[in-house]
Amino acid sequence: MSVSDASLSRTRVVATPSLVRGFGMSGLAFIAVVVGFGDVVAGTSAGLTGIGPPLSRPSAAFPFGTDLLGRDMASETLHGLAVTVDGASVAMLIVLLVGALAGYAAAQLPHRLGGALRALARVFCLVPPLFLAILLIGMSDRGWVAVAAGLAASPAAFARAFDRATMIARSAHADYAALTGIPASALLRRDLVYEFRAGFLTTASRALAAVTITLSTASFFGFGATPPHRDLGLIIASAREIFLDAWWTVLFPGLALAFLVLCARLTAGLEEGERP
Amino acid sequence: MWRIALWRALNLFLVMVSATALCAAVAALSAPAATGFLRAWSARLWGFTHGDFGSSLVTGGPALTAALKSLVATLALAGSGAVVALVLGGIAGLLFAGGRGLRGAAILVQCLAAVPVFCAGLAFLWLWAHGPLRDGAGLWATRLGPFPAAFIEQSALPVLTVGMAGAGAVQLALRRSASGALGQPWRKGLRLLGLTQGEIDRHYLAPELLAGLLSGFGEVALALLSATAVAESLFGWPGAAVLFLKSVALHDWNVVAVVLLAFAAMALAAETLGTIAGRGLFMAWERT
Repeated sequence: MSVSDASLSRTRVVATPSLVRGFGMSGLAFIAVVVGFGDVVAGTSAGLTGIGPPLSRPSAAFPFGTDLLGRDMASETLHGLAVTVDGASVAMLIVLLVGALAGYAAAQLPHRLGGALRALARVFCLVPPLFLAILLIGMSDRGWVAVAAGLAASPAAFARAFDRATMIARSAHADYAALTGIPASALLRRDLVYEFRAGFLTTASRALAAVTITLSTASFFGFGATPPHRDLGLIIASAREIFLDAWWTVLFPGLALAFLVLCARLTAGLEEGERP
Repeated sequence: MWRIALWRALNLFLVMVSATALCAAVAALSAPAATGFLRAWSARLWGFTHGDFGSSLVTGGPALTAALKSLVATLALAGSGAVVALVLGGIAGLLFAGGRGLRGAAILVQCLAAVPVFCAGLAFLWLWAHGPLRDGAGLWATRLGPFPAAFIEQSALPVLTVGMAGAGAVQLALRRSASGALGQPWRKGLRLLGLTQGEIDRHYLAPELLAGLLSGFGEVALALLSATAVAESLFGWPGAAVLFLKSVALHDWNVVAVVLLAFAAMALAAETLGTIAGRGLFMAWERT
């Protein structure tokens, strides 16, 4: 098969983003419903030990099996998903405010000031967001993990929004607007109303994917959620010593985490392999 | 070409100065509260410019010495991971760019990309523990003889974990440059001149793909460095990322600052060298 066929196949793939995004959005909606009715669906409250025999394999009674303390893994996974989604939602809002919105606003500042902020964002982008988040948690407290994850993911969102807004500001319509005397504040409002709104879903879901990975990895390292409010990363971390013999203690929380990230990625329309 | 290199060098210098100032601010956290943050920060910044990175709170020795030992291990892991990423990502990128049917596998890549690195690392560990190579009784083990299990557990698995994380970025860089090159009008012109598809791909497309890959090397480096933290922690690799985690937990800010500065420098160097090499290759190709 010739390499030149790629353009045709690429066109076909790009021609169906609504289907892919629809799948992603449906998945996120499903997760939202499951998390919303978590207590009802889970059946047992979070962290309740001795529900079943310790480390029992998946069965009709315990579809996801039980962990070392006899906790129902299905219930724990659901509660963990809820904690992860809660934290990720807060972090996502921070990315939207400190990253995307601020990026659009900074592009309207006097050129050198905006450029300096963009350069600063670039410096922060040189360090992986996970490291930044852990640093911020270390400087504050584990209770601030969602804020730390949001702030760590913000420089990349800021840079993307700034570049987009700068591109718009240098376009022909911006020149016409300036010549007709439309003030910069009106152009900023226009950017926020049209551009930010148009890209809101993409930006938000991209941020959701990024912060979910950061939050869960930070928890896995012991810098995130604290018991009894265990998120998926902490549930997986607590099974590290036993998962070679009890695979279900890691598999189901891992699948739930991957499904959440996958839905966010698909909704954002990220390319295969693209980092959020 | 030299102008690009000069501009890049200036850019590199300014970004490194900013990164140094920020890391000095982190190191200033180790100073007593009575000193005052601004005074501590300026003292640390002055020290940084003179090669004095302070001392480790844990070992009492120089922070730079503590970090350098671990950084060598991290560089070895990231370097080996880069080789795996280039091989795996290169194959995947070329296949996905070139095969119509293989594009159907894109959803598989999308699913793999959604798996956090620590989950992938645990999966590798589980597969290794339950695979035919582990107990020496499987088919492969019989053919290969006694397998060095310690090498696989301590070296191959972390390298594979880091490599898989970087492979996504490599295949993406390749696919992006391929999709850009494949739409170029000169391809049709070359066909009309009588060149075969293979010749066009070999002499014109391949250098452009390589240039695209080199230009995206900063992104690849960032993916590799992120993954090293997970791989080092999971597989007990004595690298800088694990040192960073321990130092943050113990509030050993001088060591944290040195590790962060080193990571920023590595990412920036990869990005700059990749851009210059990619641009140079592209210009050389244009001249031909």
